[in-house]
Amino acid sequence: MKRIIVIIALIFAAITATTIFNGCAVPASIASKSGAQLWAENCLRCHNSPPPNDYSDGEWAAIGAHMKLRTNTMTDTEINKVVEFLQSAN
Amino acid sequence: MKKVTAGFGLCILLLITSTTSAQDSTQTELNMKALSGNPGSTHLLLSGVTWFGLQANLSDTVKTNVKNTFNDFGFSPMFLWKLSDKVFFESEIEIKNDGSAENGAAFDLEFAKLSYTANDYLTIGAGKMLSPFGAYNEKWEPNHIERFPNAPLRPDDNILPDDSHLFWGAIMGIDARGKIPMGSSKLTYVIYISNGPTLSKDANDRPTGVIQYENWNDNNNNKEIGGRIGLLPFSNNCLEVGFSYKHGIANSLTDTLFNQNREVSNYNIGATALAYDLNFVKSVPDLKSIIGIRGQYSSLKVDQANYYLNDSATYTFDNNLTSYFAQFSFRPAMVENCFFKNLEFLIRFNSVTPPKDALWGGKATTRLDIGLDYWLSWRTGLRLAYEMTSNPDGSKTNMIIARLATGL
Repeated sequence: MKRIIVIIALIFAAITATTIFNGCAVPASIASKSGAQLWAENCLRCHNSPPPNDYSDGEWAAIGAHMKLRTNTMTDTEINKVVEFLQSAN
Repeated sequence: MKKVTAGFGLCILLLITSTTSAQDSTQTELNMKALSGNPGSTHLLLSGVTWFGLQANLSDTVKTNVKNTFNDFGFSPMFLWKLSDKVFFESEIEIKNDGSAENGAAFDLEFAKLSYTANDYLTIGAGKMLSPFGAYNEKWEPNHIERFPNAPLRPDDNILPDDSHLFWGAIMGIDARGKIPMGSSKLTYVIYISNGPTLSKDANDRPTGVIQYENWNDNNNNKEIGGRIGLLPFSNNCLEVGFSYKHGIANSLTDTLFNQNREVSNYNIGATALAYDLNFVKSVPDLKSIIGIRGQYSSLKVDQANYYLNDSATYTFDNNLTSYFAQFSFRPAMVENCFFKNLEFLIRFNSVTPPKDALWGGKATTRLDIGLDYWLSWRTGLRLAYEMTSNPDGSKTNMIIARLATGL
């Protein structure tokens, strides 16, 4: 039981620490990345990058919501940029 | 009189028809206006994965044994339903040949999860969901993503019963997940609470001391707690390292055997698992290629307990198990030749070490996989692998496996 408490405490400590670190602003060069760049950088980490015209706008919205949770690596802003880029091909 | 009645009836019919028609037109116009002004906030996608494969055993010298067979097929429809910007439902059903079903296919609900996004840093989910323990299960396991025609060597392969699900499978519970930007890096987290594992004490059920996950009804009042923390140190997300932990009480409340020789009554037998994972994918323009390195190390430790040796005697052992795999892939995706750019070369080493003193334990099983992919399209791949397994008794098993998979 003590081990669980220690682990949970460590997790919350890490989250707290990163929240503090989050005070460091995301550099402008990263914040200004386009949807196309994020699409090219991130999809490839697990699977081939899908062509933008393979799905409709609504389907891309559903896929974006799915990938946001499944990969758990992209922020809402980044996911929205990628989805908007993919939808722009339709 | 009949003519008057018929004429009156005809007038009524025309009136009803014209009124209905007018209503339809009005409703159609309203729908068109709604569509033109608002694309809608509810989105549904029916997608999925399908695969088909075969394997050939090159080691078996017994002439009467079957050496090659078409044994691998399945279909997994997946429902992605975005109800709003904050609410999302996803589910997958898997229908596949697992060798046990009489009609050649088994049916399973892989996951059905409802999620609510509270803010940019927190999403809460509930239902049956893929276990976030490690990276393989949630991120790399789908058959259109897995580059090899089969999964890495798992404890459930030949060592434990196939439904043990030590480091993979689904959980039933609640999770919270999110990511926190840290300058040019990111920290990701998942924390969950679910039904815990069960521990086998009776060899008539399964080998004694084997932990079984995927319990849809818990066997005690303690719940498993687990999670994963991931770090993406680079702004292009090319590298992710993760640490996972899970702990649950495995014995049933009524198991008196596990309390024998204990000074403390209601002794709880905990099962604790750890995992470390790494994923590195990078385009290398100088090589006109994409290289990938990924791997996962997992370990399980079960508290000391007594198990039935036979009907009257008991025994105990250090119930520790480890499993790992490491994989390297190379794809010359940026060369001009349209054939070579679709090839992907792979190599993977796998190892599983069960508890050495358990009746079902012993030495490690290792497997070296050499793979070749040909991508027919971005989502469809033909996978080939030559797999060399070194068994605990010193024997070796060599197999060729092929699979055609497509998905999403």
